[in-house]
Amino acid sequence: MFGNPVRLLSATGLVLVLGLAAACGTAPAASGGGDAGPPRAGGTLRLGISSNPDCLDPQQVGTNAALNVGRQLVDSLTDQDPGNGKITPWLAEKWEVNADSTSFTFSLRKGATFSDGTPVDAAAVKASFDGIKAIGPKAQLGNGYLAAYKSATVVDPSTVRLDFSAPSAQFLQASSTMSLGVLAPSAYQKTPEQRCQGDGLVGSGPFVFESFKSNQQIVISKRKGYAWGSPLWKHTGEAYLDKVEFRIVPEPGVRTGSLASGQLDAITDVQPVDEPQFAGNGFTEPVRANPGIVFNLHANVTRGVLSDVKVRQAVLKGVNRQEVTDTVLTKNYKPASSILGSATPLHLDLSKELAYDPDGAKKLLDEQGWAPGPDGIRVKDGQRLTAKIVFSLVFNQNQSVLELVQQQLRKIGFDLRIEQRTTAETTQLTLAGDYDFIWYNTTRADADILRQLFSTKAGNRSKLAAGNPLDATLDAQAATVDDATRKPAVEQAQRVIIEQAYAVPVFELTQVWGLGPKTHDVAFEASSRMRLFDAWLAG
Amino acid sequence: MTNGIPRRLAQAVVVLWAAFTLSFVILYLLPGDAVLAKLGGGDGGSTLTAADVAREHAALGLDDPVVVQYGKRLLAAVQGDFGRSIASGEDATTLVLNALPSTLSITGLGLLFAVVFGGAIAILGTYTRSRWLSQFLASLPPLGNSLPTFWVGLVLIQIFSFNLGWVPALGSDGFSALVLPAVTLALPTGAIIGQVLAKSLRTQLDEPYVEVVLAKGASRARVHFGHVLRNAALPALTLVGVLAGNLLAGSVITESVFSRDGIGRVTASAVSAQDIPVVQAVIVLAALFFVVLNLAVDLLYPVLDPRLAGRVTAKAQSRGKAVSGV
Amino acid sequence: MSSVATPSAARREAGFYLRRPGLVLSVAVILLVLLWAVVPELFTAHDPIAGVPAERLQGPSAAHLFGTDETGRDVFARVVHGAALSLRATVLSVLVSLIAGAALGLLAGSRGGWVDSLVMRVVDVLQSVPSILLSLALVTALGFGTTNVAIAVGVANLATFARLMRAEVLRVRTGVFVEAARAAGVRWTGVLARHILPNSLGPVLVLATLTFGTAVLEVSALSFLGYGATPPTPEWGSLVAGGRGFLATAWWMTTFPGLTVAAVVLATNRVSRALDGERRLV
Repeated sequence: MFGNPVRLLSATGLVLVLGLAAACGTAPAASGGGDAGPPRAGGTLRLGISSNPDCLDPQQVGTNAALNVGRQLVDSLTDQDPGNGKITPWLAEKWEVNADSTSFTFSLRKGATFSDGTPVDAAAVKASFDGIKAIGPKAQLGNGYLAAYKSATVVDPSTVRLDFSAPSAQFLQASSTMSLGVLAPSAYQKTPEQRCQGDGLVGSGPFVFESFKSNQQIVISKRKGYAWGSPLWKHTGEAYLDKVEFRIVPEPGVRTGSLASGQLDAITDVQPVDEPQFAGNGFTEPVRANPGIVFNLHANVTRGVLSDVKVRQAVLKGVNRQEVTDTVLTKNYKPASSILGSATPLHLDLSKELAYDPDGAKKLLDEQGWAPGPDGIRVKDGQRLTAKIVFSLVFNQNQSVLELVQQQLRKIGFDLRIEQRTTAETTQLTLAGDYDFIWYNTTRADADILRQLFSTKAGNRSKLAAGNPLDATLDAQAATVDDATRKPAVEQAQRVIIEQAYAVPVFELTQVWGLGPKTHDVAFEASSRMRLFDAWLAG
Repeated sequence: MTNGIPRRLAQAVVVLWAAFTLSFVILYLLPGDAVLAKLGGGDGGSTLTAADVAREHAALGLDDPVVVQYGKRLLAAVQGDFGRSIASGEDATTLVLNALPSTLSITGLGLLFAVVFGGAIAILGTYTRSRWLSQFLASLPPLGNSLPTFWVGLVLIQIFSFNLGWVPALGSDGFSALVLPAVTLALPTGAIIGQVLAKSLRTQLDEPYVEVVLAKGASRARVHFGHVLRNAALPALTLVGVLAGNLLAGSVITESVFSRDGIGRVTASAVSAQDIPVVQAVIVLAALFFVVLNLAVDLLYPVLDPRLAGRVTAKAQSRGKAVSGV
Repeated sequence: MSSVATPSAARREAGFYLRRPGLVLSVAVILLVLLWAVVPELFTAHDPIAGVPAERLQGPSAAHLFGTDETGRDVFARVVHGAALSLRATVLSVLVSLIAGAALGLLAGSRGGWVDSLVMRVVDVLQSVPSILLSLALVTALGFGTTNVAIAVGVANLATFARLMRAEVLRVRTGVFVEAARAAGVRWTGVLARHILPNSLGPVLVLATLTFGTAVLEVSALSFLGYGATPPTPEWGSLVAGGRGFLATAWWMTTFPGLTVAAVVLATNRVSRALDGERRLV
């Protein structure tokens, strides 16, 4: 009764294949070209981002998608130079820090106003910091920055003092982030949930919030009369762009295709596989590694075979970082050269210590009595040389990277078992310390992130015993904003972490954007988030 | 099979309650919860502590015994209040209702395309005397069903938006942005309609009355489009419930591919954020839709054709569901 | 069921297939895929897991029939080696729906009364919750991984089987031979096992063949949404989903696995149609 579906299929398939081949042969049309010319004001930037932010309030959020929006809406007390990591003036013209870094006094510049017309004065700054402290863990990043925050005091209308209950040298850098960006006092008359949706999201930044349509787009527009930008920026006065539309485009192929076909002017999160598409031909591809803790296998030293430092060292030597970036990622991604990313101030280059050394790894394991078993995995006293790593899919390439690391470790006789979990479950396991290895990275342009994750008084992800030497160096760096004292402590901490292999660094997360031929000067700030103040569109 | 209306209504209420309960149980049993997903999800270096989590649980009433939580939720839900989304703090019902128009517009147009194309294929395939054409048309529905929805969507975008520039790839401005998502959705749905209708048409054509009417001198076209099609369309009616579920499933994928807001996107992100209030609002809405549709179909069916009442329903429905792709 | 013993029957049999080259091809496709699953190394010499980075993203050629992927792995080798896992996952998912669904339907249809009502309400609920939503939630609950994805898809499809089985049981139950057996004093369970089950199973098995094809697609859809695991061993659904990022630059990576899935779905569809009664028409 019926015909010949298979033959039909192959015919249809052929047509499809040919159609696709023909359709896909065309390269992205280039226009504009190299001559950037002088910046031009006006226009709407259509920017494709990869995920829908549940919340837009920069004080609450933790994802890049949301922080990239929030950064444009608020100003911070200070700014951070992405070149050298130095903290520079912004809303605060100058500041003083007391000897043990528990008290910070900021002198505010005059003339800055919030978009509701109220002035950015000491009282507003106090209200903002109190407001962040009040929402506790809902301030996903700020909660950590203000862990020791005690109170703010209005010294005079343009001077505010913030006091901490423990040395908090990191606060100076934190004051430059959008997470501690200043919102108008009126914002705190709304609930945190309302601010998330943009209701009452009033800042003093170069752009103001206009609309948020969930899963569709966020629109922000230029703040008229803005004149208090950070001296680090390229120009003064108002932003060039009239409007920015953040279009939420989850599918990577659609993002790149839309940029290539001119339906978008810029995109974030270009996938490693799509990078070659935007090389040359009028498109540009800004790239910057994230500062902070690199992607790593963070060991729990109380668990199984990982309690032996020699085993951890063997794993550290058995990972071929260069091969990871070469095969699974691209040349834009750097192999880890320390537990801190190379863009982090006070990063110490430990590439030698992190060199691929399978023979050294095998030797260490041999010495410890781990002998290769029948399936190539080493055994000792009936125990297999194995550990589990828990990860969630926050970065698309996680799975491939871990699979490669798994293959590499197999060569030295170590069996790495990979377990994907939901983000909620990963958080739960992290809180409970219920893991052998945990896989994560975190963005922070200050070395104090080491204290937050390794100190026994803070996150202590390695589950170290209190009073270990690492704690002392971590405390020392927290007590001063003076780099002359801070630097040796931070370097010592990085050295100890690698020597003891408390964590096995693998690669640096990197932001890769794609810009259309007309889009210029979309810039990275020090935490590798987006700065749109200087961005402009050619006519 | 012709139950009283009160009894059918009671059964519908039971189904709604069970859908509500099932969704609560599944999500409650998941490891982790919405608070952990929200507060720890943004950054790998989260400084969240167990005390923070406990405080947030208490604030949201998530530290109550599970029975109390369930009871409270049920009581509120009966009054139409599913609570606030834990992820975004918005009212769950509003969130879902806001996403509804966008989904309805692509599913509505998709259904229209599906009925037109599926119907045309089935009718032509059974009417034509060309064996070759008939076979060709009969093999189209299985083909439509054998391609992954997301793949079809991406190929369509690639060709019609990126290369030809006829329609936008993103967003929901105007009719032109609706076409590709609707076509993508229509493909598997049209395939089901085409398959079921063709089968039903063939069955009808074998019925003795066809010979009788033809013998009486009626034209072939008249018989085909008059008597046969009318009778054959009835079983297809029972597919409505299945098609609705199918379209909703398709919208999860389609909305992701075409960067649109809608029930599908809301659902997928709510499930991954373990956002119980939103998931429950969606599930109850979907179940309500299903129940009402089926109730309407069941009640209409005997009115339209008492002869067939209750006989084909179950089978046509199972067949429809079986051939539905995602 | 015709016997193949007599020459005329054999000729009729041959004629049946000769007039249906599509069916023959479909059976051939299924057999080929089964062979891929059992002895993949007979079909390709390439390693499906370790690639040759120097040969990354090459189009189809004699050396690489389906081209290579982003790490230089042979796509054809991955499709061939992926057959085992894909088929296992699909068979598992179909078995879950088939066994659980048929058992529920059998129970409802044969016992009737409140049992029937209860089972059918459960089925209603399963059908009223969109299957993709149910699958998403189940995968999150069970954990990532191909097996769990298969189970989730299986559970989501279960209701259809229950409905069909029940309808078939109700149909067979009133058959003359069942009445006769009951009258002859055969116990209810005996009737169930010897008469009702075998007679009502036919259409359910046809449905199983149909579902077989769509289950591959559903697993693939979950992969697309980020729920299917992509273990180092390839699986068709995740091959199609994983290659979609290359649609613009390396169309072969997702197209060939996609066409393979399409071919298998079409072939099973064709075979199930044959099982559904084409034989009886001869």
